Amino acid sequence: MSDAQVQFINVIKSFGDRTILKGISFEAKQGEILFILGTSGTGKSVLLKNLVGLLRPDTGEIWVDGEEVSQISEEKYFDIRKKCGMVFQHPALFDSLTVFENVAFGVRKHYDYPEEKIKEIVKKCLKLVHLDDVEEKLPQDISYGMQKRVSLARTVAISPKILLFDEPTTGLDPVTTNAVNQLILDLSKTLKTTSLVVSHDMHCALAIADRIIVLDKGNIVDQGTPAELKASKHPLVKEFLMEATTHA
Amino acid sequence: MLNKMVGIIDDIGGVTLFMKEVFRTGIKTPCTFSEIMDQTWKVTIQSLSTTAMAGFFVGAIMTVQFTLQVSQFGALGYLGGLATSGTIREVGPLLIAFMLSGKVGAFTSAELGTMRVTEQIDAIKCLGANPIQEIILPRFVGIILSSFFLLTIGLFMSIWGGLLMGIVFSGISIEEYVRHIPNIVSPVSIVTGLFKCFVFAFVLASICTYKGYNATGGAKGVGKAVVDTAVFTMIGIVIADWVTSAIGESVMELFLK
Ligand SMILES: Nc1ncnc2c1ncn2[C@@H]1O[C@H](COP(=O)(O)OP(=O)(O)O)[C@@H](O)[C@H]1O
Ligand SMILES: [Mg+2]
Repeated sequence: MSDAQVQFINVIKSFGDRTILKGISFEAKQGEILFILGTSGTGKSVLLKNLVGLLRPDTGEIWVDGEEVSQISEEKYFDIRKKCGMVFQHPALFDSLTVFENVAFGVRKHYDYPEEKIKEIVKKCLKLVHLDDVEEKLPQDISYGMQKRVSLARTVAISPKILLFDEPTTGLDPVTTNAVNQLILDLSKTLKTTSLVVSHDMHCALAIADRIIVLDKGNIVDQGTPAELKASKHPLVKEFLMEATTHA
Repeated sequence: MLNKMVGIIDDIGGVTLFMKEVFRTGIKTPCTFSEIMDQTWKVTIQSLSTTAMAGFFVGAIMTVQFTLQVSQFGALGYLGGLATSGTIREVGPLLIAFMLSGKVGAFTSAELGTMRVTEQIDAIKCLGANPIQEIILPRFVGIILSSFFLLTIGLFMSIWGGLLMGIVFSGISIEEYVRHIPNIVSPVSIVTGLFKCFVFAFVLASICTYKGYNATGGAKGVGKAVVDTAVFTMIGIVIADWVTSAIGESVMELFLK
């Protein structure tokens, strides 16, 4: 094992006769921000879901914090999910619970804290995502951008070592997009988490990534630091780069 | 056509496995009593008035139909007994269960399907909880309890609907309508009727939770789950009705021997 906190070794995943991940290998080091770029439908979400055990790979190994997890039981995954917090593409907040209860949900399941401490954690996490005065509101009463931030706070609340983001900025306006990017950067600095960000936004990737992996049709077609990728010859990467510069 | 057949077999297997999972979770890590009561209350309140009304009119319709038949034979005296028995044993549970499948079933599969496609169910797992325990169990048990209760209320109302029509439409007195009810409506038929209600409630609860929980593919997927729920529940109920009628018949024979 290297010093990687997350490592995929030759991971293959198919649905029926459609192979979505065709032997993916990569690693993410402690504390880095790794972007996984790809057009929609290439299997970015499938990749993240394999990591948190919502899907299981057909073959291959997945290492999380020094433990091979691809075939462990659902019960054992409980601890892995405490280490690996996932922020979904949708806010995925529970409609019937208040913002406070949404953020407290995972904390209650994973820790045996007294109510006082839970309150403290929720306050702290909402502050991290720059929200206050929303604790008693229901998810449908706040804006979409705010919901996404609450969703982020909910994941951060269980203090994971690794944060996974599924298209954190898709569907957001440019101002909120920048805010969310800044947030990912800040979180990874203040909480020292490793971040895996799945996205199709090269602009964001160039701005905050330590390393970028480009995924196409189930294979990794290119990877490197933002500077290295800017010099890439791969047509898909070039297209992504063009998008990014015209938008910027 | 072949694809459809395979799909149906797939679904039957799917529901069975899903039920196994629900029961396993219910035994190992049950949800709280108050969660079940919350759901039961919600479903009951939502559908109480419509069910009561539907029951009332089912009873009324049956009396009108029976009047047309029995009056030819000058047997109006048996009207109350025949209409009540037919309603409680067969038509009442069936029609009221159909109505509930449209209301409770559609609502629940839409609710669960939305939770699935907006990744709320995945989020529950990732936050360290079991979605079957958190959201399926309370709904499953809640729907069975409230549907059973609603069906019973509906049947009770159908007796009153029948009685009212007997007086208004057929022009017989209350005593005359009621007189033969105890003779024709045996305890066995009441038990059969209630047993049917329970079986229908079970069919409804298992199909709508299964279809909603396993919805895929965005808003369209939710729509498909709702339609599938309505169709499969109705087919399921008709089949269950036939099976329980057959069982009811053999039980009856056993008693008569
Ligand atoms: N549970 C599933 N069952 C079958 N097919 C799936 C499932 N999840 C995803 N897919 C398919 O895998 C492909 C990749 O999906 P996804 O990972 O969501 O793409 P994206 O890169 O946009 O996140 C899609 O074609 C999708 O239809
Ligand atoms: Mg996706």
